Amino acid sequence: MYPDNPVTPVCGDGCGTLPQQAPLAFPYVPMQQSASKRYGQDEALNNGSLFPGLNLPFHIQDKARNVVKGPLAELQALEFVVTEMGLYLDTHPNDQEAFALFQQYVALAREGRKRYTELYGPVYQMGAADSDHYNWLHDPWPWDGKDGGAR
Amino acid sequence: MFVYEKKLQYPVKIATANPKLASFIISQYGGPDGELGASMRYLSQRYAMPYPELKGLLTDIGTEELGHLEMVGAIIHQLTRNLTDEEVRAAGFDAYFVDHTTGVYPTAASGFPWSAASIGVKGDVICDLTEDLAAEQKARVTYDNILRMCDDPDVKDVIRFLRQREITHFQRFGEALRLAREKMDQKNVYFVNPAFDH
Repeated sequence: MYPDNPVTPVCGDGCGTLPQQAPLAFPYVPMQQSASKRYGQDEALNNGSLFPGLNLPFHIQDKARNVVKGPLAELQALEFVVTEMGLYLDTHPNDQEAFALFQQYVALAREGRKRYTELYGPVYQMGAADSDHYNWLHDPWPWDGKDGGAR
Repeated sequence: MFVYEKKLQYPVKIATANPKLASFIISQYGGPDGELGASMRYLSQRYAMPYPELKGLLTDIGTEELGHLEMVGAIIHQLTRNLTDEEVRAAGFDAYFVDHTTGVYPTAASGFPWSAASIGVKGDVICDLTEDLAAEQKARVTYDNILRMCDDPDVKDVIRFLRQREITHFQRFGEALRLAREKMDQKNVYFVNPAFDH
């Protein structure tokens, strides 16, 4: 029934830690371990997961496609890693290595946002103040999706 | 407070209109296991939570779900752009169209409008986080079912991304339960409700 399942791990990064003995009547999800393998930012955005160990696809799907390249997709990829590291840190607040990575990606995402804003206009309404006119209303709005990743 | 970011979390670019697809993908906008309910559930549960990790996680996942709501809205909008009268009639989209034209309205695929009855906020740490684990699974299955019924790769690509996020959130909620447990009465976690008893 499962010959086409592309996922290999059990275990390695696909496994986490459980208590040796655990009280009854309580649900347990294994804790993800620190220093789990990670995708680069583009592959992370393509897969919807920063961590190969958590990437568990359904049998009906196209292969992960590559998000259209462009300044917006680059920014989306960097910010996606920030989102993923943020959620990981919410439940692993003392993982210093993960925090350092979070800091690195936030710095990259800030740079990316600056570059993007210079080219295509503000991501935040406040950003319109840096222009010589009120450019917040300029098309396209995100849901219009004219050029996908390359707004 | 919330500040709008003028971009999607993941690109949505659908080349071909398809109102039939829109007529069931709308369930992830306003259905029982959709993204509106997800964000309302987590953003509402957080007030009673006693531990900073739980306040943070519910805020951050609830906020990401608002971004997913916007992505699903973008899918519906792009699937129903520039329809002819004939397409509206032929595609099984007529019941939605008569009430909403091509506006995006939070409703289940069945036509039942979004209801807070489909979410839970119990004000109890273990209960609410267990609800969240179930909620992520229900949303994951809904995306599985959409993938079964959808053959447009532009749409499947986005659905696949959203589905994977449910699995990641399930993992984080499970970890949050473990963290919460360590702070509770170690002999009997049901001795008190730390969201209420002091």
